[in-house]
Amino acid sequence: MLHTRKRGTTSPHFGGWGDRVAARTALSVSTVCILIMGFILYFLVKESLPVLKATTLSELLFGMDWYPQETPPALGMFPLIMSSLAVTFLSSAIGLPVSLAIAVFTAEIAPRRLRNLVKPLLELLGFIPSIVFGFLGMVVVAPWLQDRFSLLTGLNMANASALLGMMMVPIVGSLADEALCAVPRELRDASYALGATRWETIRRVVLPSALPGILSASLLGVMRATGETMVMLMAAGGAAVIPRSLFDPVRPLTSTIAAEMGETPVGSEHYHALFFAGLILLLITLAINLLSAKIEAKGFKLKGGNL
Amino acid sequence: MDKTQTESDRDLPQVRTQGLNLYYGPDRVLWSLNFDIPRGCVAAFIGPSGCGKSSYLRCLNRMNDFIPGARVEGHVLIDGADIYAPGVDVIALRRRVGMVFQKPNPFPMSIYENVAYGPRLFGVKNREALDETVRSSLEGAALWSEVKDKLNTLGTGLSGGQQQRLCIARAIATEPEVLLMDEPTSALDPLSTSRIEELIRDLKSRFTVAIVTHNMQQAARISDYTAFFLLGELVEYGPTSRIFTVPEDKRTEDYITGRFG
Repeated sequence: MLHTRKRGTTSPHFGGWGDRVAARTALSVSTVCILIMGFILYFLVKESLPVLKATTLSELLFGMDWYPQETPPALGMFPLIMSSLAVTFLSSAIGLPVSLAIAVFTAEIAPRRLRNLVKPLLELLGFIPSIVFGFLGMVVVAPWLQDRFSLLTGLNMANASALLGMMMVPIVGSLADEALCAVPRELRDASYALGATRWETIRRVVLPSALPGILSASLLGVMRATGETMVMLMAAGGAAVIPRSLFDPVRPLTSTIAAEMGETPVGSEHYHALFFAGLILLLITLAINLLSAKIEAKGFKLKGGNL
Repeated sequence: MDKTQTESDRDLPQVRTQGLNLYYGPDRVLWSLNFDIPRGCVAAFIGPSGCGKSSYLRCLNRMNDFIPGARVEGHVLIDGADIYAPGVDVIALRRRVGMVFQKPNPFPMSIYENVAYGPRLFGVKNREALDETVRSSLEGAALWSEVKDKLNTLGTGLSGGQQQRLCIARAIATEPEVLLMDEPTSALDPLSTSRIEELIRDLKSRFTVAIVTHNMQQAARISDYTAFFLLGELVEYGPTSRIFTVPEDKRTEDYITGRFG
Protein backbone atom coordinates (compact mmCIF):
# COMPACT_ATOMS: atom_id res chain seq x y z
CA MET A 1 0.00 0.00 0.00
CA LEU A 2 1.16 3.43 -0.94
CA HIS A 3 0.98 5.16 2.40
CA THR A 4 2.69 2.41 4.33
CA ARG A 5 5.80 2.34 2.16
CA LYS A 6 8.92 3.50 3.94
CA ARG A 7 10.69 6.58 2.67
CA GLY A 8 13.52 5.77 0.36
CA THR A 9 12.19 2.51 -0.98
CA THR A 10 12.13 2.39 -4.71
CA SER A 11 8.99 2.50 -6.75
CA PRO A 12 8.50 2.96 -10.45
CA HIS A 13 5.62 5.29 -9.59
CA PHE A 14 5.38 8.69 -7.96
CA GLY A 15 8.49 9.55 -5.99
CA GLY A 16 10.31 6.52 -7.40
CA TRP A 17 13.72 6.27 -9.02
CA GLY A 18 12.53 7.96 -12.22
CA ASP A 19 11.47 11.02 -10.28
CA ARG A 20 14.68 11.04 -8.32
CA VAL A 21 16.90 10.77 -11.40
CA ALA A 22 15.03 13.65 -12.98
CA ALA A 23 15.15 15.75 -9.82
CA ARG A 24 18.87 15.18 -9.32
CA THR A 25 19.67 15.89 -12.96
CA ALA A 26 17.80 19.17 -12.76
CA LEU A 27 19.50 19.99 -9.50
CA SER A 28 23.01 19.30 -10.75
CA VAL A 29 22.52 21.14 -14.03
CA SER A 30 21.21 24.21 -12.26
CA THR A 31 23.97 24.00 -9.65
CA VAL A 32 26.61 23.97 -12.38
CA CYS A 33 24.97 26.96 -14.03
CA ILE A 34 24.88 28.93 -10.80
CA LEU A 35 28.50 28.00 -10.10
CA ILE A 36 29.59 29.19 -13.54
CA MET A 37 27.73 32.46 -13.01
CA GLY A 38 29.43 32.80 -9.66
CA PHE A 39 32.87 32.23 -11.18
CA ILE A 40 32.24 34.79 -13.91
CA LEU A 41 31.27 37.36 -11.33
CA TYR A 42 34.26 36.38 -9.16
CA PHE A 43 36.80 36.79 -11.96
CA LEU A 44 35.22 40.01 -13.15
CA VAL A 45 35.55 41.51 -9.69
CA LYS A 46 39.00 40.00 -9.09
CA GLU A 47 40.40 41.28 -12.38
CA SER A 48 38.80 44.70 -12.14
CA LEU A 49 39.62 45.66 -8.56
CA PRO A 50 43.41 46.17 -9.04
CA VAL A 51 42.65 49.20 -11.18
CA LEU A 52 41.70 51.01 -7.98
CA LYS A 53 45.38 50.91 -7.00
CA ALA A 54 46.21 53.13 -9.96
CA THR A 55 43.31 55.54 -9.74
CA THR A 56 40.33 56.38 -7.57
CA LEU A 57 36.78 55.12 -7.97
CA SER A 58 35.39 58.60 -8.57
CA GLU A 59 38.08 59.28 -11.17
CA LEU A 60 37.15 56.01 -12.92
CA LEU A 61 33.42 56.68 -12.90
CA PHE A 62 33.36 60.43 -13.45
CA GLY A 63 36.68 61.21 -15.11
CA MET A 64 36.23 62.85 -18.48
CA ASP A 65 39.38 61.61 -20.20
CA TRP A 66 39.93 58.15 -21.59
CA TYR A 67 43.55 57.94 -22.77
CA PRO A 68 44.52 54.49 -21.53
CA GLN A 69 47.73 54.23 -23.56
CA GLU A 70 49.38 57.34 -22.10
CA THR A 71 51.79 57.23 -19.21
CA PRO A 72 50.35 57.58 -16.69
CA PRO A 73 47.05 56.39 -18.30
CA ALA A 74 43.94 58.57 -18.03
CA LEU A 75 41.18 56.15 -17.10
CA GLY A 76 38.04 58.31 -16.91
CA MET A 77 35.10 56.25 -18.11
CA PHE A 78 32.34 58.84 -17.83
CA PRO A 79 32.11 59.37 -21.62
CA LEU A 80 31.98 55.60 -22.17
CA ILE A 81 29.24 55.12 -19.59
CA MET A 82 27.26 58.04 -21.00
CA SER A 83 27.68 56.64 -24.52
CA SER A 84 26.37 53.26 -23.43
CA LEU A 85 23.37 54.79 -21.68
CA ALA A 86 22.61 57.20 -24.50
CA VAL A 87 22.74 54.49 -27.16
CA THR A 88 20.63 52.16 -25.02
CA PHE A 89 18.04 54.86 -24.49
CA LEU A 90 17.95 56.06 -28.08
CA SER A 91 17.81 52.60 -29.62
CA SER A 92 15.02 51.62 -27.21
CA ALA A 93 13.13 54.75 -28.14
CA ILE A 94 13.40 53.68 -31.78
CA GLY A 95 13.05 49.92 -31.44
CA LEU A 96 10.41 49.41 -28.75
CA PRO A 97 7.56 51.42 -30.32
CA VAL A 98 8.21 49.76 -33.68
CA SER A 99 8.25 46.31 -32.05
CA LEU A 100 5.04 47.01 -30.18
CA ALA A 101 3.32 48.30 -33.29
CA ILE A 102 4.34 45.19 -35.20
CA ALA A 103 3.19 42.95 -32.35
CA VAL A 104 -0.21 44.66 -32.19
CA PHE A 105 -0.49 44.30 -35.94
CA THR A 106 0.38 40.60 -36.09
CA ALA A 107 -1.54 39.63 -32.95
CA GLU A 108 -4.63 41.77 -33.24
CA ILE A 109 -5.13 43.27 -36.66
CA ALA A 110 -3.63 41.06 -39.34
CA PRO A 111 -5.81 38.26 -40.65
CA ARG A 112 -4.59 34.81 -39.66
CA ARG A 113 -3.09 34.09 -43.04
CA LEU A 114 -1.03 37.28 -43.08
CA ARG A 115 0.10 36.65 -39.50
CA ASN A 116 1.32 33.18 -40.47
CA LEU A 117 3.43 34.85 -43.13
CA VAL A 118 4.73 37.86 -41.20
CA LYS A 119 5.57 36.14 -37.92
CA PRO A 120 8.12 33.60 -39.28
CA LEU A 121 9.61 36.35 -41.42
CA LEU A 122 10.03 38.50 -38.34
CA GLU A 123 11.63 35.66 -36.44
CA LEU A 124 13.94 34.99 -39.37
CA LEU A 125 15.17 38.59 -39.13
CA GLY A 126 16.29 37.76 -35.62
CA PHE A 127 18.82 35.29 -36.99
CA ILE A 128 20.75 37.93 -38.92
CA PRO A 129 24.21 38.13 -37.30
CA SER A 130 24.96 41.50 -35.73
CA ILE A 131 28.02 41.93 -37.93
CA VAL A 132 25.70 42.11 -40.93
CA PHE A 133 23.87 44.97 -39.28
CA GLY A 134 27.21 46.62 -38.55
CA PHE A 135 28.23 46.21 -42.17
CA LEU A 136 24.93 47.72 -43.25
CA GLY A 137 25.61 50.66 -40.98
CA MET A 138 29.06 51.21 -42.42
CA VAL A 139 28.37 50.93 -46.12
CA VAL A 140 24.73 52.03 -46.43
CA VAL A 141 23.51 54.11 -43.51
CA ALA A 142 26.71 56.04 -42.79
CA PRO A 143 27.27 57.46 -46.30
CA TRP A 144 23.61 58.32 -46.58
CA LEU A 145 23.58 60.14 -43.24
CA GLN A 146 26.76 61.94 -44.17
CA ASP A 147 25.35 63.21 -47.46
CA ARG A 148 21.86 63.93 -46.25
CA PHE A 149 22.83 65.95 -43.19
CA SER A 150 26.31 66.99 -44.39
CA LEU A 151 28.01 65.57 -41.32
CA LEU A 152 31.69 65.01 -40.67
CA THR A 153 31.04 61.32 -40.25
CA GLY A 154 28.06 59.06 -40.74
CA LEU A 155 29.39 56.70 -38.11
CA ASN A 156 27.64 58.11 -35.07
CA MET A 157 25.09 57.60 -32.35
CA ALA A 158 22.03 58.01 -34.59
CA ASN A 159 23.37 55.41 -37.00
CA ALA A 160 24.22 52.82 -34.33
CA SER A 161 20.97 53.43 -32.44
CA ALA A 162 18.84 53.02 -35.52
CA LEU A 163 20.55 49.73 -36.33
CA LEU A 164 20.24 48.53 -32.76
CA GLY A 165 16.58 49.54 -32.75
CA MET A 166 16.04 47.43 -35.85
CA MET A 167 17.87 44.50 -34.23
CA MET A 168 15.48 44.65 -31.30
CA VAL A 169 12.38 44.43 -33.43
CA PRO A 170 12.41 40.70 -34.29
CA ILE A 171 12.85 39.44 -30.74
CA VAL A 172 10.79 42.06 -28.92
CA GLY A 173 8.07 42.06 -31.57
CA SER A 174 7.79 38.32 -31.60
CA LEU A 175 7.69 37.98 -27.80
CA ALA A 176 5.22 40.85 -27.42
CA ASP A 177 3.06 39.17 -30.05
CA GLU A 178 3.02 36.01 -27.94
CA ALA A 179 2.08 38.04 -24.88
CA LEU A 180 -0.81 39.67 -26.73
CA CYS A 181 -2.03 36.36 -28.11
CA ALA A 182 -2.04 34.91 -24.60
CA VAL A 183 -4.71 37.37 -23.46
CA PRO A 184 -7.84 35.25 -23.05
CA ARG A 185 -10.57 35.48 -25.66
CA GLU A 186 -13.14 35.96 -22.93
CA LEU A 187 -11.71 39.36 -22.06
CA ARG A 188 -11.97 40.55 -25.64
CA ASP A 189 -15.50 39.19 -25.88
CA ALA A 190 -16.47 41.03 -22.70
CA SER A 191 -15.10 44.26 -24.10
CA TYR A 192 -16.79 43.88 -27.48
CA ALA A 193 -20.08 42.97 -25.81
CA LEU A 194 -19.94 46.27 -23.93
CA GLY A 195 -19.84 48.13 -27.21
CA ALA A 196 -16.11 48.69 -27.49
CA THR A 197 -14.48 49.02 -30.88
CA ARG A 198 -11.54 46.90 -31.81
CA TRP A 199 -9.08 49.70 -31.09
CA GLU A 200 -10.69 50.47 -27.71
CA THR A 201 -10.48 46.80 -26.84
CA ILE A 202 -6.80 46.63 -27.78
CA ARG A 203 -5.91 49.80 -25.93
CA ARG A 204 -7.95 49.38 -22.77
CA VAL A 205 -8.07 45.61 -22.27
CA VAL A 206 -5.58 43.66 -24.35
CA LEU A 207 -2.51 45.85 -23.92
CA PRO A 208 -2.89 46.32 -20.15
CA SER A 209 -3.48 42.59 -19.70
CA ALA A 210 -0.41 41.71 -21.72
CA LEU A 211 1.72 44.37 -20.04
CA PRO A 212 3.92 42.05 -17.92
CA GLY A 213 4.80 39.98 -20.99
CA ILE A 214 5.40 43.04 -23.13
CA LEU A 215 7.59 44.51 -20.42
CA SER A 216 9.81 41.46 -20.14
CA ALA A 217 10.05 41.30 -23.93
CA SER A 218 11.12 44.94 -23.99
CA LEU A 219 13.63 44.23 -21.27
CA LEU A 220 15.26 41.58 -23.41
CA GLY A 221 15.51 44.10 -26.22
CA VAL A 222 17.01 46.78 -24.00
CA MET A 223 19.55 44.29 -22.66
CA ARG A 224 20.49 43.35 -26.16
CA ALA A 225 21.08 47.01 -26.96
CA THR A 226 23.21 47.52 -23.87
CA GLY A 227 25.32 44.47 -24.54
CA GLU A 228 25.63 44.74 -28.30
CA THR A 229 29.24 45.13 -29.34
CA MET A 230 29.76 44.53 -33.02
CA VAL A 231 27.36 47.18 -34.29
CA MET A 232 28.86 49.67 -31.86
CA LEU A 233 32.34 48.85 -32.98
CA MET A 234 31.48 49.25 -36.65
CA ALA A 235 28.89 52.03 -36.76
CA ALA A 236 29.08 54.13 -33.60
CA GLY A 237 32.17 56.11 -34.53
CA GLY A 238 34.28 55.34 -31.48
CA ALA A 239 35.02 58.79 -30.03
CA ALA A 240 35.29 58.77 -26.25
CA VAL A 241 33.35 61.98 -25.70
CA ILE A 242 29.97 62.66 -24.15
CA PRO A 243 27.49 62.89 -27.04
CA ARG A 244 25.89 66.32 -27.32
CA SER A 245 23.86 65.73 -30.46
CA LEU A 246 22.29 62.75 -32.20
CA PHE A 247 25.05 62.86 -34.80
CA ASP A 248 28.02 62.77 -32.45
CA PRO A 249 30.18 59.67 -32.62
CA VAL A 250 30.11 57.63 -29.42
CA ARG A 251 32.21 54.92 -27.79
CA PRO A 252 30.17 52.66 -25.52
CA LEU A 253 31.73 50.35 -22.90
CA THR A 254 31.19 47.23 -24.99
CA SER A 255 33.06 48.30 -28.09
CA THR A 256 35.80 49.81 -25.93
CA ILE A 257 36.43 46.43 -24.33
CA ALA A 258 36.33 44.63 -27.65
CA ALA A 259 38.62 47.07 -29.39
CA GLU A 260 41.23 47.47 -26.68
CA MET A 261 41.43 44.14 -24.90
CA GLY A 262 43.63 42.62 -27.57
CA GLU A 263 46.01 45.59 -27.53
CA THR A 264 46.81 45.79 -23.89
CA PRO A 265 49.34 43.81 -21.81
CA VAL A 266 47.77 41.39 -19.36
CA GLY A 267 47.95 42.83 -15.84
CA SER A 268 48.40 46.45 -16.86
CA GLU A 269 46.24 49.20 -15.41
CA HIS A 270 44.48 49.47 -18.74
CA TYR A 271 43.76 45.72 -18.65
CA HIS A 272 42.18 45.97 -15.22
CA ALA A 273 40.26 49.08 -16.24
CA LEU A 274 38.66 47.18 -19.11
CA PHE A 275 37.51 44.51 -16.67
CA PHE A 276 36.11 47.30 -14.57
CA ALA A 277 34.18 48.49 -17.63
CA GLY A 278 32.70 45.00 -17.86
CA LEU A 279 31.67 45.21 -14.23
CA ILE A 280 29.95 48.55 -14.87
CA LEU A 281 28.08 47.00 -17.81
CA LEU A 282 26.92 44.21 -15.53
CA LEU A 283 25.70 46.74 -12.99
CA ILE A 284 23.87 48.73 -15.67
CA THR A 285 21.97 45.68 -16.89
CA LEU A 286 21.24 44.72 -13.30
CA ALA A 287 19.86 48.21 -12.67
CA ILE A 288 17.66 48.03 -15.77
CA ASN A 289 16.38 44.68 -14.54
CA LEU A 290 15.53 45.99 -11.10
CA LEU A 291 13.93 49.08 -12.56
CA SER A 292 11.67 47.05 -14.81
CA ALA A 293 10.68 44.83 -11.90
CA LYS A 294 9.74 47.95 -10.04
CA ILE A 295 7.74 49.35 -12.97
CA GLU A 296 5.96 46.03 -13.29
CA ALA A 297 5.06 46.01 -9.61
CA LYS A 298 3.82 49.56 -9.92
CA GLY A 299 1.75 48.68 -12.97
CA PHE A 300 -0.24 46.27 -10.83
CA LYS A 301 -0.92 48.88 -8.21
CA LEU A 302 -4.16 50.10 -9.57
CA LYS A 303 -5.29 53.51 -10.33
CA GLY A 304 -8.96 53.99 -9.82
CA GLY A 305 -11.69 55.95 -8.21
CA ASN A 306 -12.63 56.56 -4.66
CA LEU A 307 -16.15 57.03 -3.54
CA MET B 1 -31.68 54.63 -23.35
CA ASP B 2 -34.57 55.39 -25.67
CA LYS B 3 -36.81 57.56 -23.53
CA THR B 4 -39.00 58.79 -26.36
CA GLN B 5 -40.77 55.55 -27.11
CA THR B 6 -44.44 55.85 -27.93
CA GLU B 7 -47.06 53.74 -26.21
CA SER B 8 -47.45 51.49 -29.23
CA ASP B 9 -43.70 50.76 -29.17
CA ARG B 10 -43.96 49.76 -25.59
CA ASP B 11 -46.65 47.21 -26.40
CA LEU B 12 -44.40 45.57 -28.97
CA PRO B 13 -42.38 42.57 -27.91
CA GLN B 14 -38.86 43.68 -27.10
CA VAL B 15 -37.12 41.00 -29.14
CA ARG B 16 -38.79 39.57 -32.24
CA THR B 17 -37.09 36.78 -34.10
CA GLN B 18 -38.37 36.21 -37.62
CA GLY B 19 -37.21 33.39 -39.85
CA LEU B 20 -33.72 33.39 -38.37
CA ASN B 21 -31.20 31.03 -39.92
CA LEU B 22 -27.58 30.88 -38.84
CA TYR B 23 -24.77 29.16 -40.73
CA TYR B 24 -21.20 28.51 -39.66
CA GLY B 25 -19.60 28.03 -43.05
CA PRO B 26 -21.45 25.13 -44.65
CA ASP B 27 -23.08 24.04 -41.38
CA ARG B 28 -26.57 25.21 -40.63
CA VAL B 29 -26.78 25.94 -36.92
CA LEU B 30 -30.21 27.53 -36.50
CA TRP B 31 -33.30 26.60 -38.49
CA SER B 32 -36.00 29.21 -39.14
CA LEU B 33 -36.57 30.51 -35.66
CA ASN B 34 -39.73 32.52 -35.05
CA PHE B 35 -40.69 33.81 -31.64
CA ASP B 36 -41.09 36.93 -29.52
CA ILE B 37 -39.70 37.86 -26.13
CA PRO B 38 -41.99 40.34 -24.34
CA ARG B 39 -40.61 43.40 -22.61
CA GLY B 40 -39.59 43.01 -18.98
CA CYS B 41 -39.62 39.22 -18.99
CA VAL B 42 -37.06 36.53 -18.37
CA ALA B 43 -36.84 34.11 -21.27
CA ALA B 44 -34.91 30.91 -20.67
CA PHE B 45 -33.39 28.79 -23.44
CA ILE B 46 -32.95 25.13 -22.63
CA GLY B 47 -31.79 22.16 -24.66
CA PRO B 48 -28.95 19.69 -24.88
CA SER B 49 -25.39 20.87 -25.64
CA GLY B 50 -24.86 21.93 -29.22
CA CYS B 51 -28.54 22.62 -29.83
CA GLY B 52 -27.86 26.22 -30.85
CA LYS B 53 -29.17 28.10 -27.84
CA SER B 54 -25.90 29.90 -27.15
CA SER B 55 -25.47 30.60 -30.85
CA TYR B 56 -28.94 32.14 -30.84
CA LEU B 57 -28.08 34.29 -27.86
CA ARG B 58 -25.00 35.56 -29.68
CA CYS B 59 -27.18 36.54 -32.63
CA LEU B 60 -28.96 39.06 -30.43
CA ASN B 61 -25.89 41.25 -29.94
CA ARG B 62 -24.17 40.16 -33.13
CA MET B 63 -21.25 38.54 -31.34
CA ASN B 64 -21.39 35.92 -34.08
CA ASP B 65 -19.93 38.56 -36.38
CA PHE B 66 -16.51 37.61 -35.01
CA ILE B 67 -16.78 33.97 -36.06
CA PRO B 68 -15.24 33.51 -39.51
CA GLY B 69 -17.78 32.09 -41.91
CA ALA B 70 -20.81 32.90 -39.77
CA ARG B 71 -23.82 34.04 -41.82
CA VAL B 72 -27.28 35.10 -40.72
CA GLU B 73 -30.53 35.05 -42.67
CA GLY B 74 -33.84 36.44 -41.48
CA HIS B 75 -34.56 39.19 -39.02
CA VAL B 76 -34.08 40.00 -35.37
CA LEU B 77 -36.06 43.05 -34.32
CA ILE B 78 -35.19 44.79 -31.09
CA ASP B 79 -37.73 47.48 -30.28
CA GLY B 80 -39.01 47.08 -33.80
CA ALA B 81 -35.70 47.78 -35.54
CA ASP B 82 -33.96 45.01 -37.48
CA ILE B 83 -30.46 44.58 -36.07
CA TYR B 84 -29.36 42.79 -39.24
CA ALA B 85 -30.50 45.58 -41.54
CA PRO B 86 -27.68 47.08 -43.62
CA GLY B 87 -25.92 49.99 -41.97
CA VAL B 88 -26.85 49.05 -38.42
CA ASP B 89 -24.38 50.43 -35.89
CA VAL B 90 -23.19 47.28 -34.13
CA ILE B 91 -21.42 49.28 -31.42
CA ALA B 92 -24.65 51.10 -30.55
CA LEU B 93 -26.52 47.79 -30.63
CA ARG B 94 -24.14 46.21 -28.12
CA ARG B 95 -24.68 49.15 -25.82
CA ARG B 96 -28.39 48.37 -25.83
CA VAL B 97 -27.92 44.62 -25.49
CA GLY B 98 -25.61 43.68 -22.62
CA MET B 99 -24.09 40.26 -22.14
CA VAL B 100 -22.90 38.11 -19.26
CA PHE B 101 -20.77 35.13 -20.16
CA GLN B 102 -20.54 31.56 -18.97
CA LYS B 103 -17.18 31.98 -17.28
CA PRO B 104 -16.81 35.06 -15.09
CA ASN B 105 -14.48 37.31 -17.09
CA PRO B 106 -13.70 40.47 -15.17
CA PHE B 107 -10.96 42.60 -16.66
CA PRO B 108 -7.64 42.57 -14.78
CA MET B 109 -8.41 46.02 -13.40
CA SER B 110 -9.88 47.36 -10.21
CA ILE B 111 -13.49 46.64 -9.32
CA TYR B 112 -14.26 50.28 -9.96
CA GLU B 113 -12.61 50.31 -13.38
CA ASN B 114 -14.40 47.11 -14.38
CA VAL B 115 -17.79 48.68 -13.81
CA ALA B 116 -16.76 52.06 -15.20
CA TYR B 117 -15.42 50.47 -18.40
CA GLY B 118 -18.65 50.73 -20.39
CA PRO B 119 -19.59 54.28 -19.34
CA ARG B 120 -16.02 55.43 -20.02
CA LEU B 121 -16.28 54.01 -23.53
CA PHE B 122 -19.25 56.29 -24.17
CA GLY B 123 -17.20 59.23 -23.03
CA VAL B 124 -18.45 59.68 -19.46
CA LYS B 125 -15.57 61.49 -17.77
CA ASN B 126 -17.32 63.27 -14.95
CA ARG B 127 -16.04 61.76 -11.72
CA GLU B 128 -19.28 62.08 -9.77
CA ALA B 129 -21.34 60.62 -12.60
CA LEU B 130 -18.97 57.65 -12.84
CA ASP B 131 -18.97 57.17 -9.08
CA GLU B 132 -22.76 57.17 -9.09
CA THR B 133 -22.97 54.69 -11.98
CA VAL B 134 -20.48 52.37 -10.31
CA ARG B 135 -22.37 52.48 -7.04
CA SER B 136 -25.82 51.94 -8.54
CA SER B 137 -24.60 49.17 -10.84
CA LEU B 138 -22.89 47.32 -8.02
CA GLU B 139 -26.03 47.75 -5.93
CA GLY B 140 -28.08 46.48 -8.85
CA ALA B 141 -25.84 43.41 -9.00
CA ALA B 142 -26.14 42.87 -5.23
CA LEU B 143 -22.39 43.27 -4.80
CA TRP B 144 -22.10 46.77 -3.35
CA SER B 145 -22.13 45.87 0.31
CA GLU B 146 -19.36 43.31 -0.19
CA VAL B 147 -16.96 45.48 -2.18
CA LYS B 148 -17.71 49.08 -1.26
CA ASP B 149 -14.59 49.30 0.89
CA LYS B 150 -12.26 47.79 -1.69
CA LEU B 151 -13.25 49.30 -5.01
CA ASN B 152 -9.60 49.83 -5.92
CA THR B 153 -8.60 46.20 -5.55
CA LEU B 154 -8.39 43.84 -8.49
CA GLY B 155 -11.72 42.53 -9.77
CA THR B 156 -10.02 39.24 -10.56
CA GLY B 157 -9.26 38.79 -6.85
CA LEU B 158 -12.92 38.23 -5.96
CA SER B 159 -14.52 34.82 -5.52
CA GLY B 160 -16.15 33.19 -8.55
CA GLY B 161 -19.67 34.19 -7.56
CA GLN B 162 -18.60 37.74 -6.77
CA GLN B 163 -16.76 37.92 -10.09
CA GLN B 164 -19.90 36.92 -11.94
CA ARG B 165 -21.93 39.55 -10.09
CA LEU B 166 -19.19 42.05 -10.97
CA CYS B 167 -19.66 41.07 -14.62
CA ILE B 168 -23.40 41.63 -14.24
CA ALA B 169 -22.70 45.04 -12.70
CA ARG B 170 -20.38 45.81 -15.61
CA ALA B 171 -23.07 44.80 -18.09
CA ILE B 172 -25.84 46.86 -16.47
CA ALA B 173 -23.62 49.91 -16.00
CA THR B 174 -24.27 50.80 -19.64
CA GLU B 175 -28.04 50.68 -18.97
CA PRO B 176 -28.91 48.19 -21.68
CA GLU B 177 -32.49 47.30 -22.55
CA VAL B 178 -31.83 43.62 -23.01
CA LEU B 179 -29.48 41.50 -20.92
CA LEU B 180 -28.15 38.28 -22.42
CA MET B 181 -26.82 35.63 -20.06
CA ASP B 182 -25.00 32.59 -21.36
CA GLU B 183 -25.13 29.96 -18.61
CA PRO B 184 -24.13 32.56 -16.03
CA THR B 185 -24.15 30.14 -13.10
CA SER B 186 -22.63 27.01 -14.63
CA ALA B 187 -19.22 27.74 -13.11
CA LEU B 188 -20.55 28.67 -9.67
CA ASP B 189 -21.39 26.89 -6.43
CA PRO B 190 -25.03 26.48 -5.31
CA LEU B 191 -24.99 29.42 -2.92
CA SER B 192 -23.61 31.85 -5.51
CA THR B 193 -26.06 30.40 -8.01
CA SER B 194 -29.06 31.14 -5.83
CA ARG B 195 -27.82 34.69 -5.25
CA ILE B 196 -27.56 35.26 -8.98
CA GLU B 197 -30.98 33.72 -9.61
CA GLU B 198 -32.42 36.08 -7.05
CA LEU B 199 -30.67 38.90 -8.81
CA ILE B 200 -32.08 37.91 -12.20
CA ARG B 201 -35.60 38.02 -10.76
CA ASP B 202 -34.91 41.58 -9.59
CA LEU B 203 -33.28 42.60 -12.85
CA LYS B 204 -36.31 41.88 -14.99
CA SER B 205 -38.08 44.92 -13.64
CA ARG B 206 -35.47 46.97 -15.48
CA PHE B 207 -34.32 44.76 -18.33
CA THR B 208 -35.57 42.07 -20.60
CA VAL B 209 -33.43 39.06 -19.76
CA ALA B 210 -32.55 36.23 -22.14
CA ILE B 211 -30.76 33.41 -20.37
CA VAL B 212 -29.27 30.16 -21.60
CA THR B 213 -29.19 27.45 -18.97
CA HIS B 214 -28.47 23.77 -18.67
CA ASN B 215 -30.25 23.65 -15.38
CA MET B 216 -33.94 22.92 -15.89
CA GLN B 217 -34.85 23.76 -12.33
CA GLN B 218 -33.17 27.10 -12.84
CA ALA B 219 -35.24 27.78 -15.94
CA ALA B 220 -38.39 26.81 -14.05
CA ARG B 221 -37.47 28.98 -11.08
CA ILE B 222 -36.52 32.22 -12.76
CA SER B 223 -38.10 32.48 -16.20
CA ASP B 224 -41.45 33.68 -17.48
CA TYR B 225 -41.00 32.08 -20.89
CA THR B 226 -39.07 29.01 -21.87
CA ALA B 227 -37.78 27.98 -25.27
CA PHE B 228 -36.72 24.40 -25.90
CA PHE B 229 -34.08 24.01 -28.62
CA LEU B 230 -33.10 20.78 -30.29
CA LEU B 231 -30.57 20.44 -33.12
CA GLY B 232 -30.90 24.09 -34.06
CA GLU B 233 -34.66 24.09 -34.13
CA LEU B 234 -37.06 25.72 -31.76
CA VAL B 235 -39.19 22.79 -30.64
CA GLU B 236 -41.44 24.61 -28.28
CA TYR B 237 -41.82 28.06 -26.82
CA GLY B 238 -44.32 29.34 -24.31
CA PRO B 239 -44.95 30.43 -20.74
CA THR B 240 -42.64 28.56 -18.41
CA SER B 241 -45.49 27.35 -16.23
CA ARG B 242 -47.06 25.62 -19.22
CA ILE B 243 -43.86 24.24 -20.74
CA PHE B 244 -42.94 22.56 -17.48
CA THR B 245 -46.43 21.22 -16.71
CA VAL B 246 -48.18 20.45 -19.97
CA PRO B 247 -45.64 20.53 -22.81
CA GLU B 248 -47.24 20.12 -26.21
CA ASP B 249 -44.34 18.36 -27.85
CA LYS B 250 -43.30 14.85 -26.89
CA ARG B 251 -39.59 15.78 -27.22
CA THR B 252 -39.95 18.66 -24.77
CA GLU B 253 -41.61 16.36 -22.28
CA ASP B 254 -38.87 13.76 -22.69
CA TYR B 255 -36.18 16.38 -22.18
CA ILE B 256 -37.60 18.08 -19.12
CA THR B 257 -38.43 14.79 -17.47
CA GLY B 258 -34.86 13.68 -18.08
CA ARG B 259 -35.47 10.91 -20.55
CA PHE B 260 -32.72 12.26 -22.81
CA GLY B 261 -30.24 15.12 -23.04
